[in-house]
Amino acid sequence: MPKYLVHFAQVHNEFRIPELQSIAELHGFQVQIVENPGGHGSDPNRPFMVLQLDDEKHAKILAQRCILIKAIYEFYAQGTTYAELHQQNQLPEIRVEWQKYVEDTTFKFFVTGYNHKIPQRRQREVIESFSYMGFLGKIDMKNPEISLICFEEYDEDRKLATRAKHEGDSQFKQVYFGKLLAESSARPLVGVFDVKKRKYFGNTSMEAEVSLLMANQTMASPGKLMYDPFMGTGSMAYPVAHFGALVFGSDIDGRQMRGKQGVEGEPGVMRAAKQYGVQNRILDLATFDITHNPWRTGGMFDAIITDPPYGVRAGAKRLGRKRELSERQKELCRLHRENPRPDDTPYIPPTKPYELSHLVEDLVLFARYVLRPNGRLVFFLPTVTDEYEEVDINTMLCEGMEVIANSLQDFGAWGRRLITIRKTTAEEYPPPAFRERDQQPNEDGVEPTEQDKHVPAHKDFREKYFQGFSKDKAMAPTSLPPVPK
Amino acid sequence: MVRLITHNLLACHVKNCTVNNFPLEFKNVQLEIREAEFNPDFIRGFLPKLEWKALVDTARQLGDTSLPTEQPEMIDDEFLQNLHHVLLEIHVEEGSMICNNCKHEYPISSGIPNMLLAEHEIA
Repeated sequence: MPKYLVHFAQVHNEFRIPELQSIAELHGFQVQIVENPGGHGSDPNRPFMVLQLDDEKHAKILAQRCILIKAIYEFYAQGTTYAELHQQNQLPEIRVEWQKYVEDTTFKFFVTGYNHKIPQRRQREVIESFSYMGFLGKIDMKNPEISLICFEEYDEDRKLATRAKHEGDSQFKQVYFGKLLAESSARPLVGVFDVKKRKYFGNTSMEAEVSLLMANQTMASPGKLMYDPFMGTGSMAYPVAHFGALVFGSDIDGRQMRGKQGVEGEPGVMRAAKQYGVQNRILDLATFDITHNPWRTGGMFDAIITDPPYGVRAGAKRLGRKRELSERQKELCRLHRENPRPDDTPYIPPTKPYELSHLVEDLVLFARYVLRPNGRLVFFLPTVTDEYEEVDINTMLCEGMEVIANSLQDFGAWGRRLITIRKTTAEEYPPPAFRERDQQPNEDGVEPTEQDKHVPAHKDFREKYFQGFSKDKAMAPTSLPPVPK
Repeated sequence: MVRLITHNLLACHVKNCTVNNFPLEFKNVQLEIREAEFNPDFIRGFLPKLEWKALVDTARQLGDTSLPTEQPEMIDDEFLQNLHHVLLEIHVEEGSMICNNCKHEYPISSGIPNMLLAEHEIA
C-alpha cells in the first residue's frame, strides 16, 4: 500500500487526526497512520506524519479539504541519519516508485529544515548525496514536472542554533524524503474567510481557521442539512455552506443575526453569506430560544455545528426570569400584555442565565432528537485547564450519543475543547424537556446516578473565568455569594 | 427566507398549544422567488420528513399549484423539480405566521420570523 508524507501547519495539533478521519469518513476511505520508532508515529505534535492510503486519489482529497495540511508528498524514505534514508530510498520497492522519472522528467530538488535553517552549501551537499538516483531530466526551478523534497526535522532548541559551514549530518530528529503530490488547496480558505475582511461580524465571531476545522468535523458536503442553534453572527455557517451544505440558524437574540440596521433591510448574516457566494445555502434564520423551540419533528439534520455562548464575552440566556415575580407583579404583567402601549413593540420577553453545564447536557439531548442517525454534533466546550478530567465529557452524554473526537485549544489557565459527538442510534427519541435545574428534585423523577453527581470543570465556567480560576473560590459550592436583597 | 421547507417543519410552541398547531397560516405575505441549486438526492431524502398536505395547501395558498394533492408513488424528475421549487425557491420576506389554534402571531421581517414566546406563553 502506498505511503504518503503529510506536512502539517504547526497549529491546532490536537485537531489534525480528527480532521483527517472526518474527511476520510466523508469520502469513504481509510487512513492509517504509520507507526515507526524513529519518526513521529502518531504523535500529533510533530509536523510530519506518514499515512497509508489505498489510493493516490485519497491523498489528493485530503489535500483539497484538510485545513491543517500544508502539502502531501509521495513518501520514499526517512531516517535518523542520511545513511539510513539513502539505504531505504534504494530498496527495490522504493526504487520502483522513482525510477520512472529517471529518463526524461524535469525536476526540482529542495532541502529544507523544520526549526532550523540549513546553510546553502550544506543543502547542495545533501542534493549531491542523492546522485545515485541518476536523474537525467533537466532541472527546472519554475515549472518542474516533479518536485523532490528533503525535510530535516529539528527540535525547538535548534531554532536559533548556528552551525559550522561544513558541518554534515546534523542533530536532526528525523529526515524525510519524498515527491510533492499536492499542496493544500484548503489552507488558503483561512484567508478567504478572514473575519476582519467579512462584511458582517461581531465581537464573538469565531476565527476563520477554527470555524473551518469545525465545518470539517461536521463532514459538510452538498445535499446535507445543518443547524446552528446559537447562530450569532453566523461564523460557522459560512464555511459549512462553502462546502455545499444547507444551513439553518436560530438565536434567542435576533439582533445578532440582523446587525445594526435592525429589522429593516438585509440581515448581516445574509450580507456576509453573499460575500462568500453562499446566500442560497443559508436555508433560513429564525429568532427563538432553543429551550422553547418550534420544531415540529426531529431526525432531519445531518449535523449541528455551534459555539454556545459560554459567558466570557456573552453569557447564554434562556427565556424566563431570574427571580420569581410576586402575584401582584404577575397580575400587572398580564394586564400590560392585554393592553400593550403602542411604543412597546416588538415585545422582548425576559431572559435568565443558562448555566453552561446545563446548556451542554440539553444540547446533547436536543441533538439526539433533531439529528439523523449517524449525524454529528460539533461544538466548543470551554473548560478550566487545571480541573479538567476526561469524565467531565461523560457528564453530558446520554444513551445513543458517543464522543468521537475531543481536541483542546489551549489558552493557558483555560481552554476550549472541540467536541464531536456522533448519534449512534437509529431509534427515535422524544424532544428533550429542557428542565429547569433550580427546581429540586428532578422533575422527571429520575434518581441521579454517579455520573450525575460528578461536577464537571466547565460548570459555572463564567464565574470561574471572572475569578481568574482561583482554586478556593471555584471550589465553593455555587461560586457566587448570594445577591444582597 | 422563510422557505416552505422551513415552514413545513415549524409548529406553534406556545405552552399547552398542542392540537391544530400546525401548519401555521401565512398572512399579509410578501414573496420573492430566488433560484436555488437543485439537488435531487436532497429532495428525495427529505420527502419522508414532510407533512404533504400542509405543504400542498400552503403552496396553493401562496399561488403555486404545481404539486399534486396526494404524494405520488412514482417519483420522476419533473415532480422533483416542482418540489424543489416549492421547498427552496419561494421565500416569504414579510408578513406573519398565525397559529390556527391559539392565534399566536409570529411576525416575519426581512425574512426572519420572530418565534420568541412571551412570558405567559411558556409557563
